[in-house]
Amino acid sequence: MMTLAPNMTRHQPKKVSRFALAKGFVTVVVSMLVLIVLCMVFAPSSVAQGALSGSLPFAAILMIVGLGQMLVVQQGGFDLSVAGGVSLSVVISTHYPAGDSAQLLPAVMIAYACAVAAGLVNGVLVGFLRMNAIVATIGMNALIYGGVFAVSGGVPRITTPLLAAIAGGDTFGLGHSVWFALAVLIVVVIAMKKTVFGRRFEAIGANPLAATAIGLNVRLYQMMAYVLAQLFYCSAGLLIAGITTQPTAFQGDSLLLPSVAVVVLGGTSLLGGRGFPISTAIAAIFLNQLSQFAFAVGVPYSAQTIIQALALGLGIGIYSIKMPNFGNKLNKLSNREDEDEAIVS
Amino acid sequence: MKLSFRKGGVTLAAASVMLAVLGGAAMADTPSWCGPKKASLALLDGFGGNSWRLVTTASGKAEAALCPSITDYEYADGQGNTQKAISDIKSFAAKGVNALVVFGDAGPAVLPALTAAYKAGSVVVPYRVDVGGEAGKNYTKFIGSSFKDDGISWGNWIKSILPDGGNLLFLSGPAGNSQGLDELAGMKSVLDDKYKFINPEPFDVTNWDPSLTQQVLSAEIAKNPKIDVIVSDFGPSLVGALPVFKKFNRSIPAIATSDGNSLGCFWTDNVKDNPDFKLFTVATGNDNVRLAVRWAVAEATGGTLPTEEIFKAPVFEDSVSGKPSAVQCRKDLPGSIYLSAVMSGDDQAKAVNK
Repeated sequence: MMTLAPNMTRHQPKKVSRFALAKGFVTVVVSMLVLIVLCMVFAPSSVAQGALSGSLPFAAILMIVGLGQMLVVQQGGFDLSVAGGVSLSVVISTHYPAGDSAQLLPAVMIAYACAVAAGLVNGVLVGFLRMNAIVATIGMNALIYGGVFAVSGGVPRITTPLLAAIAGGDTFGLGHSVWFALAVLIVVVIAMKKTVFGRRFEAIGANPLAATAIGLNVRLYQMMAYVLAQLFYCSAGLLIAGITTQPTAFQGDSLLLPSVAVVVLGGTSLLGGRGFPISTAIAAIFLNQLSQFAFAVGVPYSAQTIIQALALGLGIGIYSIKMPNFGNKLNKLSNREDEDEAIVS
Repeated sequence: MKLSFRKGGVTLAAASVMLAVLGGAAMADTPSWCGPKKASLALLDGFGGNSWRLVTTASGKAEAALCPSITDYEYADGQGNTQKAISDIKSFAAKGVNALVVFGDAGPAVLPALTAAYKAGSVVVPYRVDVGGEAGKNYTKFIGSSFKDDGISWGNWIKSILPDGGNLLFLSGPAGNSQGLDELAGMKSVLDDKYKFINPEPFDVTNWDPSLTQQVLSAEIAKNPKIDVIVSDFGPSLVGALPVFKKFNRSIPAIATSDGNSLGCFWTDNVKDNPDFKLFTVATGNDNVRLAVRWAVAEATGGTLPTEEIFKAPVFEDSVSGKPSAVQCRKDLPGSIYLSAVMSGDDQAKAVNK
């Protein structure tokens, strides 16, 4: 029996790989818990109900933007047109209605139409014309910003009361934007993990060549990633327009870096492949809570920035450091468990 | 380059002939700072992305339009990007624009560009944000705004409503901006130790961004059970964040800030449910640009130099005394206009809604 045990584990690679794949989730959950404990000890006000209700809507926005970025990263790409996409939807949804709630619906439709157009261009450039994603999307971002200026002249108007009520209101103690983000998250999780489309999407991201070989339309899926991402950015922009009564025309600028950060923190490989929507969502809350922590500790602004950068660096560093020991330990651990089981049996 | 200079010279010569012919009639109602020499003027913004800047830009344009000698008016927006702001200044100077009125948001970072433009022969008038350097060497004239006076006005009002002291929360723009530091110095010059600033030194950083303001303010509200007065140098950016007090079942406290239609209307709508909500505003200072434009035009066209060298923002609203004005709200106009400005509310609405 004893001699059989190692062989048995060799026949069960599934168990080990599950551990390895869950690393992103474990890391982000552990970081989140550590942060919550730190908050409760050093900055209890940052986890008070009122503070959360003030800050969670921003986490929700980051969550949606992060999920959009995740789809692109899953295809081995990068979307640098986040800032433009978000800002454009902010200015369209505030400028077109100009305070008249009746005009909100057409404005939202226009915003989504622009998002689809921008996504299609990105998608065609990257998916079909094989342009480098960074180059294509940074160019697209400049183009979209042209649109932002054309619409707004650089200045958005005050939000319509209807949008403020839809995006900024509360239901069951949580801001509507949080509910929207949760809805988006659930849709992404189900679509990604439980539908044929989602499974193919991940498979293509993991290995486009193999996917081509088995006859999947790789380019179409890659293009779709950019279109869907823009739709997400657009939704986030609408929420920002509703939450901040007087948004600037460049509201998306501050989201670019965090959008990539939450994807990486969530454990999605920058080389593409499997996506981790739930981890990405938790990472968004983590990042947001981190800045709330820094605000609440009351340290000078310089220190706030340093705290955030360090925490982010540590979080991302965990993935960059190849940890053979960590993997081996897990293997050994599971081997031992199996051995024990084998002994018992 | 040389060619374009010559071209400019020809245009200028033609323009002076035109002036000589047409000048007489128009001269009667032109302001004294507007001289006879034809000139072009450019307004260079470091960051143009909020309604305040838009109204300011429109005010600058309106002021320049009062002078018929200004043949050409141009505007560039640095979009908060220091490099773009610098290249804007350089390219306008290279184009041979006679007078540059510059909002040097980036501070001393734009000074070399200003100096180069000044040395190349343009009239250069930076305003509002201190760019370092000195008049006559790096630029023609700096038209500052007395932010310290704003701080003093706020401080005096705080003293009048809270004679026994209290907790103050001060929010300003980007880290280390000179405006916030001057305002703080002004407040500290009239408030003694009974008044405690509960924000991190020297102020809470908001970048004057409404969404960051909202996050910072909700963190501060959660952290501090007692806030007696919020002081902010961009009042309208508070509007999105103030409802957070309701979530804590607390009244909105007294606010000393700068004016804005949305803020006035927010006060009007919420004062009943918030017994502690008193409001005091100084003019947001859109008209600072007018003084800068007058200086630039006077220098470039040979007009009489204005006597004022510093813009002093007048006190605007006080909900307690009603003097010099009670809180104003024009619901029929956009929230993003400033009723304290010289430009009429309706004209501002046009500027903001263009």
